[in-house]
Amino acid sequence: MKTIEVAKTTSSGIAIAKVYKVETVELVPSTYRISNVEDEIQKYKEAVQFVSAKIETLAKDNEIFAAHLELVNDVGLMEGVINKITMNEDNAELALDKTAQEFIMIFESMDNEYMRERVADINDIRNRLMTHLKGLKERDFGDLNEEAILVTKDLAPSDTAKLDLKYIKGFITELGGVTSHVSIMAKNMGLPALVGVQGIMEIIDDEDQIIMDAQKGIIIINPDEETRKHYQELEHKEQQEKELLEKIANLPAETKDGRKVKVCANVGCIEDVKNAVTKYIDGIGLFRSEFLYMENTQFPTEEEQFEAYKEAARLCEGEVIIRTLDIGGDKALPYYPFEQEENPFLGWRAIRISLEKQDLFKTQLRALLRASAFGEIWIMYPMIVSLEELHSAKALLETCKKELLQEGKAYDEHVKVGMMIETPASVMCVEAFAEEVDFFSIGTNDLTQYLLAVDRGNQHISSMYNSFHPAVMRAIAKVIKAGHKAGIPVGMCGEFASDIKAVPVLLGMGLDEYSVCAGEVAKIKAAIRQWDYKACEELAEKVIRAKGLNEVMALIEDVK
Amino acid sequence: MVKEKVKVINKSGLHLRPAGVLTEVARGCKSEVFLIKEDGTRVNPKSVLFLMGANITCGMEITVECSGMTEEEDLKAIIEAIKSGLNEE
Repeated sequence: MKTIEVAKTTSSGIAIAKVYKVETVELVPSTYRISNVEDEIQKYKEAVQFVSAKIETLAKDNEIFAAHLELVNDVGLMEGVINKITMNEDNAELALDKTAQEFIMIFESMDNEYMRERVADINDIRNRLMTHLKGLKERDFGDLNEEAILVTKDLAPSDTAKLDLKYIKGFITELGGVTSHVSIMAKNMGLPALVGVQGIMEIIDDEDQIIMDAQKGIIIINPDEETRKHYQELEHKEQQEKELLEKIANLPAETKDGRKVKVCANVGCIEDVKNAVTKYIDGIGLFRSEFLYMENTQFPTEEEQFEAYKEAARLCEGEVIIRTLDIGGDKALPYYPFEQEENPFLGWRAIRISLEKQDLFKTQLRALLRASAFGEIWIMYPMIVSLEELHSAKALLETCKKELLQEGKAYDEHVKVGMMIETPASVMCVEAFAEEVDFFSIGTNDLTQYLLAVDRGNQHISSMYNSFHPAVMRAIAKVIKAGHKAGIPVGMCGEFASDIKAVPVLLGMGLDEYSVCAGEVAKIKAAIRQWDYKACEELAEKVIRAKGLNEVMALIEDVK
Repeated sequence: MVKEKVKVINKSGLHLRPAGVLTEVARGCKSEVFLIKEDGTRVNPKSVLFLMGANITCGMEITVECSGMTEEEDLKAIIEAIKSGLNEE
């Protein structure tokens, strides 16, 4: 039995299961000498047969695999490999590698972008054949067919698409930080995940029995009976607590002394909305519109966007706060090449793109306006740093309203318009902004990073990222105060809103709305119901006066 | 051996899809088939990799050469296929 301690992540939970490990093997050809030419050729032919049969079943519904099937059986490839085995007495792996490289070189040198992309296809089948020649089992994300904890180097969204998620009990990845795709997905699914666990691929083997405690950040490999029993009990308790939470989930988010706040959900697509509305939410605090742009082969049309926003508004009883396009250099669009930026985090992104590409922005605004006729939609602008940006956006919105009026298309004249507070500039000038919008939503993820000058994804310093830092605490308090002075509600859609430890201080500062991922709604509501607003106000006042992080943490830990 | 010249009309030349179509036709031919480019390069169309790698572009005039028992009907099949655009557009 071996116990490993890892950096914590934001998803909690215990999982006890078998490991399903997916390797990213290097697949360099071996250097063994062949015993005889005929046998070696036969070995290669057998690999082709095996891989071909495997791809054939996949090829039925998938064009990419159909093309791969062609390549695996290609006469030219076969001839090239056989020639090298015969002429040079190369072993099958080497012959395959050399032949594949020859074709790759030809394709790479071609003028044609399309042809150059076929290199990926050749590499793919080269890897499949090589895997088989080496006697390795091809562990595909698509092969998972029993309950397991997934252990892999990293998980891209395209890999997730291949997974049968119902079998996954937890995730462990070597790469990735708390904002990575895996973390977010795990949170949404309510599954434990540990990411950025360096060296884990060397330590854990496929089919190992392990226990993972994502909250404490512990992985136990091949646990003994006693440990296993202990964790099974913990798991059982967790399950019971979860069920209890679900029973009281429909109760309002109200403190013991009667202060009511809203608890809403953060969503990233229509499926998320459908899931979120089953959790007794007061609304959707953040609808990320990026999926319409990212999961597409071109910029989404007004109709496409309109249908999606309308559907969200229709599904949700409360308000749906839709954030306008928030992408940047770190999230590439397959059909629009962003220029390489040294600092995409401080670069051309979000509202900057929208205000520069006004046609794109107008398309989105028009779609949002039209959808506002079908439900309660609030429009929210991301990453604003100056009043001028806000004015430009509002002016464009007015233009769109006039256009729609002329075209006879319906929209809500009083649609609420607000902005995210996620930059230091917007905090410093918050009073001016408060007079010009209908609501604020604090984006603590980015705000904390910008305020503390810390890259959350940088494992070396990621422990410095802490939204309890006095700078962030004071910023939040300042924003809420300014918002209330101007008579507008202030919500929070950053991850900090789902931090149980933050509930009392945020309540005390006067936060009006907590927007969290659907899986956390019940937990936050239950937490709010346990507190006395008066006590929270006192806590908040002390926290704002605290001089350093340690002082804040002491106050947070001690409050009751 | 029989041969005949034909012009490639596919807008983007012989990229994956039309190349795949041509390869299938070629594989159905029992005789030995070669495509000869204007510069004399000989390409075996029974391999989609060889075919794509040959970079045969739109407007190119290529010679189709067949040798074997079924050379005449094979030549006809291939010329027809290329003339008709290989199922593209």
